[in-house]
Amino acid sequence: MHIKQLIFATLIMLGLVACKNVPPVTSGIGTEKIAHGQNYQQRLIVDNQQLASQLFISDIKTRMNNDFLEVNLALTSKYEKSLALQYQFNWFDKDGFVIESGKNPWQALELHGMQTINVKGLAPSRNAASYSFYVREVNEKFYKF
Amino acid sequence: MKKLALITAMTLAVLVTTGCTNKSVVRYGDASAVETTDINFGSTDLQKVAGQMTDSLLVSPVVGTLTANTRPVIFVESIKNKTSEHIDTESITDSISTKLLRSGKFRFVDMTRVAAAREQIQYQNTGGMVDASKAIQFGKQVGAEYMLYGNLSSIVKSNKDKSDVYYKFTLRLMDLESGLVEWADETEIRKTKEKEFVSW
Repeated sequence: MHIKQLIFATLIMLGLVACKNVPPVTSGIGTEKIAHGQNYQQRLIVDNQQLASQLFISDIKTRMNNDFLEVNLALTSKYEKSLALQYQFNWFDKDGFVIESGKNPWQALELHGMQTINVKGLAPSRNAASYSFYVREVNEKFYKF
Repeated sequence: MKKLALITAMTLAVLVTTGCTNKSVVRYGDASAVETTDINFGSTDLQKVAGQMTDSLLVSPVVGTLTANTRPVIFVESIKNKTSEHIDTESITDSISTKLLRSGKFRFVDMTRVAAAREQIQYQNTGGMVDASKAIQFGKQVGAEYMLYGNLSSIVKSNKDKSDVYYKFTLRLMDLESGLVEWADETEIRKTKEKEFVSW
């Protein structure tokens, strides 16, 4: 084999088998802080254009239920395949201070093709006056080379 | 020719040194992140179960009536683990009772610490070490009005390519005086593990 071909073949092989631990993509779409009763449409955030082309927040409703702020949020898929997602609510008091910081877990959610799904969030405290929401795709880093 | 061999050797040396090495790296993760290490009951399941049950209880119309003018006293009986796994159900109980307590709607008595509390009150009253006028008296504790109890069960199925586990968590609130179940709810979790082929 010609030495140039050998080098080329070696490089190709190394390129294919080389493992790189790429940090996962954790950006998504969501909302800024929205107070109870405030219009949500001006408060939407898009941090990940690719996800925004597949998914959008189609509706948000809020109400007070037994003194707790309750949010019903509709997510609609524009994509024909299933999406493996994670979402999180965060809650803030009337002064804008976060409630239960770091204790609002990400929840796994599977959204089927073109499906609209409603997710509900309930404030952990009666002091909650506003909320924010974020949804991102589950991105397994092992699939990235 | 020599030059080419040298370039090849250098390229290989660089690639080998910068290639993947099997080293351990320790870093702090996000405790609230979704965890999918394996199919067994994990932190995300615990957080989901505790969160959904607490939310459901707090917005229930019956509970709204019960907590309108008072903060009912509850005791949590341990959650029965009916799955085939070893699961620390006390951890689920702790999460639920902590969330309910922090919501400000309920008060709790902890039956797991009765012996320690009795020992302390006994020491205060009989040890001769504590000022008798300031010692906590026996018979002043508040009894629970409601009992929270539940089950965690699972159905596991697998074949050579796929494993599927379904968890069902049921929680009930009983009025201890009347014996009536005032509230009940259940939540489900389905997890699957299957072989996937990496594609470019």
